Amino acid sequence: MELVKRYIAAVQRELPDTKRDEIGRELHANIMDQLDALQEQKGLLTDFDIAAVLKSMGHPRAVAEQFVPPQPLISQSYMRLYKHTLFMVLGILFLLQVVDSTSAWLSSQMGLIGYLHSLASGFIEDVVLAFTSITVAFWMMSRYSPAQDRKYQQNWQPELLPEAGPGWQHIPLQDIFTDLATYLFLLIVIWHPLWLSQEQLEASRFLLTDSAHQWLKWASPLPLLGIANSLWQLRQRLWNKQMLIANVLLNAAFGIAILLLATVDPLLNLDPGAWQRVFELHQLERAAVTGLVITAMFPLWEVLRDILRLRKG
Amino acid sequence: MTTAQLDKMRLELRRGVLVLAVLGSLKQPHYGYSLRKQLQDGGIDIDEGTLYPLIRRLADQGLLDSEWQQGEGRERRYYQLSELGTTLLAQLTDEWQHLNSALATLLGGATEEKQ
Repeated sequence: MELVKRYIAAVQRELPDTKRDEIGRELHANIMDQLDALQEQKGLLTDFDIAAVLKSMGHPRAVAEQFVPPQPLISQSYMRLYKHTLFMVLGILFLLQVVDSTSAWLSSQMGLIGYLHSLASGFIEDVVLAFTSITVAFWMMSRYSPAQDRKYQQNWQPELLPEAGPGWQHIPLQDIFTDLATYLFLLIVIWHPLWLSQEQLEASRFLLTDSAHQWLKWASPLPLLGIANSLWQLRQRLWNKQMLIANVLLNAAFGIAILLLATVDPLLNLDPGAWQRVFELHQLERAAVTGLVITAMFPLWEVLRDILRLRKG
Repeated sequence: MTTAQLDKMRLELRRGVLVLAVLGSLKQPHYGYSLRKQLQDGGIDIDEGTLYPLIRRLADQGLLDSEWQQGEGRERRYYQLSELGTTLLAQLTDEWQHLNSALATLLGGATEEKQ
């Protein structure tokens, strides 16, 4: 009977503490009944016979999973939101780390390897904390309010569904989260000196000049409006006339703000000594201006796209 | 169709039917092994690793009452339909009969078309 004991112990190891004794007791009774029945047919049982019965029961882990099916860490109803939140937060952290490491690189004698190392190690450190915090938060949501989705699925009416419009009318969740990540990133970059100490401020070197930074501060209501717009989109998930107009205005304002930023002279706050042997400062300045003009094309393209959609609608 | 696909679909088909078979058999009290024997005698083969957890899940849902009893020198857990289980079994039986007659017509039609 040693094999039976080992089998039951192996099943119990895979079970939660509260169910171990009860299931073990019942499993023992069931196995002994089977062995009794077999003994009636074959006479005295060998270890080989007992092993065959246990094998037919299934692997201890599989049996334990049948008794207590494993619960996923994040419930299926939250999975999409979880993935998008991770994508958004990790995206922001990566961009912040790029800014942070690049500023450190530009204001020191750090080599390219040192820069890449600082970028990778800083990002991994942030990712571990962010990934853990987000996963724990979603695990708690899954555990304490799993029924929300079911309620939402029950309380709907076909008559309240939006009219079937063109394919572009649906706003993908990924687009909304990408916008949210961009706006949050901009706000953090613009206002990060607020949470730096005086010593840290003196030691760090912001990539843009004071006048360019001042301009960004004036423009910071735009990302705030962008966040509000994204939250509105998150609620509706379908383009309508008002949302398209709001998007046109917002993107036009963004496009203009970026183009105006490109006119600030000087734009970059670089250490001439550090760059002397690599690039001429005016080359870098020109590259930054070109980069900003190209960046401005994205919101301006969205303006054009949404105006065309408004005309069609 | 591959054997794996067939096995998967057969498993899905059997899953719901097994619950009905177990509930139907537990109008009388049974312990795990005797229930399996009764199902086997009735032509439904189910392995122990599936049956015992299934009984427990049904008991956890309040469809079965259970009681430990001493018999033949060993303790055994006996299960029987609860009041809720009896009501549910009646409803499921109606549903099964309705489905069965509908399927018989459909499958009969399909067989004729094949011929």
